[in-house]
Amino acid sequence: MSREVISVKRSMKLKELLGIFEGFHIFPLVPVIEEDRRLIGVVSFRNIIDVFQSSYPDVLKLVPFLDEEEQNIFKIDILEDIGDLVVVQDIMDQEYIFIREDTSLEEVYKLMKLHLKEELPVVDRGGKLVGRIGIFDIIKLVFRQKGIIR
Amino acid sequence: MSNNILGLGFILIAGLLSAKIIKKIKFPAVTAYLLLGILIGPSILNLVPQDILKSSGLISNIVLGIIAFGIGQNFSRFHLRRIGKAVIWISVLEACGALALVTSAFYFLLRQPFYISLIFGAISSATAPAATVMVIREYRARGNFTDTLLGVVAIDDAWCLIIFAVSLAISQAIYAHTVAASFMIKVFFNSLLSIFGSFILGASIAVLLSIIYRFVRTQADLLILTLGLVFLNIGIAIWLNLSVLLASMFLGAALVNLNRYYFKFFDSLKMVDSPLFLLFFVLAGANLEVGILNKLSLIGLSYLIFRVTGKMLGANLGAKISKSTNSVRKYLGYALIPQAGVALGCALIVKGDFPQVGNMIFTTIVATTVVYELIGPLCTKYALKKAEDIIIH
Repeated sequence: MSREVISVKRSMKLKELLGIFEGFHIFPLVPVIEEDRRLIGVVSFRNIIDVFQSSYPDVLKLVPFLDEEEQNIFKIDILEDIGDLVVVQDIMDQEYIFIREDTSLEEVYKLMKLHLKEELPVVDRGGKLVGRIGIFDIIKLVFRQKGIIR
Repeated sequence: MSNNILGLGFILIAGLLSAKIIKKIKFPAVTAYLLLGILIGPSILNLVPQDILKSSGLISNIVLGIIAFGIGQNFSRFHLRRIGKAVIWISVLEACGALALVTSAFYFLLRQPFYISLIFGAISSATAPAATVMVIREYRARGNFTDTLLGVVAIDDAWCLIIFAVSLAISQAIYAHTVAASFMIKVFFNSLLSIFGSFILGASIAVLLSIIYRFVRTQADLLILTLGLVFLNIGIAIWLNLSVLLASMFLGAALVNLNRYYFKFFDSLKMVDSPLFLLFFVLAGANLEVGILNKLSLIGLSYLIFRVTGKMLGANLGAKISKSTNSVRKYLGYALIPQAGVALGCALIVKGDFPQVGNMIFTTIVATTVVYELIGPLCTKYALKKAEDIIIH
């Protein structure tokens, strides 16, 4: 687990959020926390794509027979000031997988495989964010245990 | 056509293509499936194998179970806390408004037997959120009106399932016997027992699901477990004469409150439900009897008019009680016109339970669904425009 995690507040603007990761090749899973570091959601690159679609993702999950929305992100008409208008709270996932810091590595690996996730936020007993763990952290540890790396 | 597998393949591919075509003119896929079903059904082209037609009941029970299971998600503590007073008042009253007005109109004006009137009334309380959401998405509507509307269409089918389960029990009792006061009390207690039994069943299966979940290792396991227990739940409900709809809804409702990762169960079903939904709608269309349509014009027309009026009056009253904005009060009813899966599923149950009048009820619901799905999106657009949640140039 790494204890140094880039986390954001729910009030952060989309523009600022994108600014943080502008120099990265990927957009990692970003935990959203309250002032007291309590984890309240996560933002992934999928949520960023959702900005191109109409909102209300929570309600849409409850609707059966809904045709998938076909959006051509290259052609969509989107306001320039959306970067200032949308904040993290609007796009974050409030239903997400997280683990407690005392969870065994086998259990974490199982959860990652089952839910097709490559990284998960880690919280303490009080639900406060303490770090993140990626599938590579686990693989490294196994390699180390087998003596392949030191 | 007598080759079942060829028939299934044909339905799936033709369904997919017809949905793509109808999308070009901005109508929901459901309408394409229904029209395709009517076209290839026994009344017109007769291309659907008999065995597949006969399995309509099986498919509808499975699809209804899956829909009701999904509707159960509305009852998560988190969601209930968020939806607010206005949505509750409006959704309950628009569902009850349609029930009251359609039942009364069929009983007093059309002089239909009470049990038939009640069934029509109960089915009329359903709406179809998919068509409404499509319009909201297409025009990127935003605002207070849209928020309220989405809340209402998401939860009102839950009220419909409850109304339908109770109404069906009452109608079955009246159909089988004559009505006496003491008898009605018995019916009332039997429906309460059915609701309570469905709750116990759904909750027990949810606990079982949560326990077995610990042994699940892969996505495939998760799908098999969820589907298996949804089927088990439906099967036991049928076996014990409980309501399939309520048992499935309670399974979903119990699960969202029991398991931290409940959303994964619902997500896993999304991988397989689309072809089942397609089959369900095409078969619903195929079951429509074109021949009796002209006899049903008065019944169909009354159903179309009184359902919409009931929903509008109910929504208006609900908005007034909850002190919603003027635009919600005036226009929300217009956006509640579409009707699809839940109404058709209920009608298919009625078709199986009431052999003599079931066909008449079912054909009316399929025909009116086609009309509602064609005019519904236009009315939703009108309402959103009037409420100034979209700007159309």
